Amino acid sequence: MSAPTPDHTIPTPGDHLRHADRIALLERVWANGRGLVGQLTAVNHTTIALRFIVTGLGFLLVGGMLSMFIRLQLSWPGLNVLDPERYAQFVTMHGTTMMFLFAVPIMEGFAMYLIPKMLGTRDLPFPRLSAFGWWCYLFGGLFLYSSFIFGSVPDGGWFMYTPLTDSTYSPGKGADFWLIGVTFAEIAAVTAAVELIVAILVTRAPGMDLTRMPLFAWAILVTAFMIAFGFPPLILASLLLEIQRAFDFAFFEVARGGDPLLWQHLFWLFGHPEVYIIFLPAAGVVSTIVPTFARRPIVGYTWIVLALVATGFLSFGLWVHHMFAVGIPLLALAFFSAASMAVAIPTGIQVFAWIATLWAGKPWLRVPMLYIIGFFITFVCGGLTGVMLAFVPFDWQAHDTHFVVAHLHYVLIGGMMFPMFAGLYYWLPLASGRMPSESLSRSGFWLVFIGFHLAFLPMHITGLVGMPRRVESYAMELGVQWLNLLSTAAGFVLAVGIVAILIDVALCFRLGRRGTENPWQAGTLEWALPHPAPKYNFASIPVVGDRDPLWHDPALVEATRRTDGLLGEAVEGRRWILGTGIQSAQPEQAIRLSGSTWLPLLAALSIAVLLGGFITSQYWLSVLMLLPLVGLFLRWLWTVNGRETPLEIDVAPGLRLPTQAAAHNAPGWWGLVGTLLIVGSLFASLVFAYFYLWLNAPAWPGGGATLTASTPMLAALGALLAAGIGAWRMPIALRAGHARAAVVWSVLAIASAIASLALQLPALADAVGAPQRHAYGSVVWTLAGFQALHVAVAVLIAGFVALRIHRGHVDAVRSLEARIATGFWRYVVAQGLIVWALLHLFPRFA
Amino acid sequence: MSTRLPIGLTRMSMPLVVWALHFVTVYSLQGLACARALWRAPVAGLETMTWVLWALTALALVVIAVFGAAALRGWRSARAQPDGRTETARMRFLTALSALVALIAAIGVVFTAVPVALLPTCA
Repeated sequence: MSAPTPDHTIPTPGDHLRHADRIALLERVWANGRGLVGQLTAVNHTTIALRFIVTGLGFLLVGGMLSMFIRLQLSWPGLNVLDPERYAQFVTMHGTTMMFLFAVPIMEGFAMYLIPKMLGTRDLPFPRLSAFGWWCYLFGGLFLYSSFIFGSVPDGGWFMYTPLTDSTYSPGKGADFWLIGVTFAEIAAVTAAVELIVAILVTRAPGMDLTRMPLFAWAILVTAFMIAFGFPPLILASLLLEIQRAFDFAFFEVARGGDPLLWQHLFWLFGHPEVYIIFLPAAGVVSTIVPTFARRPIVGYTWIVLALVATGFLSFGLWVHHMFAVGIPLLALAFFSAASMAVAIPTGIQVFAWIATLWAGKPWLRVPMLYIIGFFITFVCGGLTGVMLAFVPFDWQAHDTHFVVAHLHYVLIGGMMFPMFAGLYYWLPLASGRMPSESLSRSGFWLVFIGFHLAFLPMHITGLVGMPRRVESYAMELGVQWLNLLSTAAGFVLAVGIVAILIDVALCFRLGRRGTENPWQAGTLEWALPHPAPKYNFASIPVVGDRDPLWHDPALVEATRRTDGLLGEAVEGRRWILGTGIQSAQPEQAIRLSGSTWLPLLAALSIAVLLGGFITSQYWLSVLMLLPLVGLFLRWLWTVNGRETPLEIDVAPGLRLPTQAAAHNAPGWWGLVGTLLIVGSLFASLVFAYFYLWLNAPAWPGGGATLTASTPMLAALGALLAAGIGAWRMPIALRAGHARAAVVWSVLAIASAIASLALQLPALADAVGAPQRHAYGSVVWTLAGFQALHVAVAVLIAGFVALRIHRGHVDAVRSLEARIATGFWRYVVAQGLIVWALLHLFPRFA
Repeated sequence: MSTRLPIGLTRMSMPLVVWALHFVTVYSLQGLACARALWRAPVAGLETMTWVLWALTALALVVIAVFGAAALRGWRSARAQPDGRTETARMRFLTALSALVALIAAIGVVFTAVPVALLPTCA
């Protein structure tokens, strides 16, 4: 735990240590613990990010192995390498692994590793959250793969379409392993999104204002917002399907008023932005590497930022282009066809900016650049077949054939894996302090490049001829057996190339030639660090005056390694980072971070046991596990920002800044904003589900349900408004110094919110009956449960803050926690009003 | 405290928010027209729904144009200021970015509207 123990060897602020002592102190404060315990409790971003990358590469190998079996099966018609059942399982697990356990996490790993180093800070703002995310990702992945041990591997495809995946057509636990395991692993995606948004907004080095932010950071900022809006629809869909499978609800079942297409809408509402969630970080990597090897600043910085922002939005207007063949009216399809073509505009802008940068510079062909060229060729082909598929009539022709398989692998391997390998080689000297082997890395590239194109180019033809995807064999009459044999053989060449690359990278850490510092002569800030980078990154937080700070000011390298700059002294022997203004990047606050702790591992373990209880239908165990889980999170919250944290510290001689508990732009506040974006998107997806079911239902309320009685309904509304007043008054009282009144207002809010639920739920039970009767009841009860869950969390938060006020950890100055609590309460009351309107008002007028 | 700027990140992305709202509204109304026969009666030779979709498109374009024009004015005034100050550089960047975002959002709205001109509401 990170409880403060008085250590008399640690200097107090104002002591002036020598440089060597300060470095020793930084080393000690930022180090992980020793041995295995140290590894299990580590939270710092370098350690955690490298784990994300290594774990992601591990899953790449596993997912790749599955694809080798798939290719063997398809190498000739009528083979029996995999029987149809196994084939479906392997196809499902291959897609699921590559998307959820490789592509997204590894890009997060890159972002978590690079963002603090590029922005000139020491760590991410919520280090325990990073560690928690990684454990969830690891356990989620293992949970999914444990299905092999229990002999019930998911086989419904990585898209898990209903009704195939409901309990009628997929009995057994396969689909449950998918729904629970993937959702568990996705916790990492959303926590990383919050973390990265806050890091980029408030922890950039002084002087790194919005015009000087590295393009990689812009790409990650947009990606993180996309995750916040894009992942919740899938999380919600998974929850709904799991509820249907476990408790016999009726969201997707036609006979009881449900609609299987609802799943497809929610899935692709996630699924298409997902492609860009993978591609944008890769584009950020390209925008970083291209200027370095063109040896000039990027051309069209503003245009690239425009392209990133525009892609972030437009990519949400494409989801139905995966559903062109399901029988939606033509005009609706045309909207999505048009948006699919519009999104090519920003992507085109980026490609032209990269070409212009290379054109205007003096290009230097080293291994990372080789992969970038591989990316250009492959991704442009994939993009063009994407535009072809955006035409509705063409899509009808090519739908569910290997043409689509070719397209998506060109886009994903071209758009994500080539840049990822480029980045791996580019930043390897920074992470390892050594250079990769030039010969092995070039051989690896050529094996991957040639293997990839020979494997997937023929699939365009086999698909156009009519070879279906997701089926374990094909007819000899199609005449595509030789092309398939070529694909299989080339697929193995690709696999050998990937293994060669991974061996090369692993060997580099041990045997690589010691490299010079900044071997590519890059201009971004991470290259100012010693190689390999120390855990605290910068001995002094740098001050930045340009987009490519190291090209602009070579003396910066030296300045960041001295300890006489910003935060050169680890005040009170704690981990500190600097907080700066969102636009101006002027120093605003000192942020104290947590050190190593068991909390993330224990919390993730509790969730794992909870979910294990759920999938085995031992619901008592799941409920029981809520106790340690809530306890751990309360402990987590209790150990930051208390009265033991000073209100102000000296970050440098002559510069004194408030600490985050008293600062306006505190990371905790922006963490709340990010969390509410995610929760709001989850709620919006549920509201979408409600209206979607309404639109396709003959009667609303359906299934013999009636309207709720007026008296409890109005009383519930009154109670909800009272809760809103309590939550609104609480921080006002606190700021005025009336701590006791603040506690009273909190209690009022808690009591009223509970009363509001207590009034609504029995009325609902009378009017609607069991949720299993009809999709109407299912969605109404889910809305009510969703709100009840949020009220429960809000009650916990309000109780927690009231206790913190009582204990003197939160007061008029140290008001951050009260602000966060009020922010959450406001959201819950607003959400409660919408839920109330949907439960009681809308059915009266529908 | 951070320096206040007339155009921030939120303001910069507003035209694309308008695009998103327009997209969602047009798509939902079209769905209602086909599933619930909303506003299908012909008015002056076109279905009422088609008129509504056109009106929404015009409205979206006007709102985007207002944002775009404001950004363009900001950009001109930032360009008129002398070089060298960080604030000026930031202002130029943000206003130029905002104007370009408005342009691309307008293109996006037009792309969404083209099918309305070419296809019947429900087919």
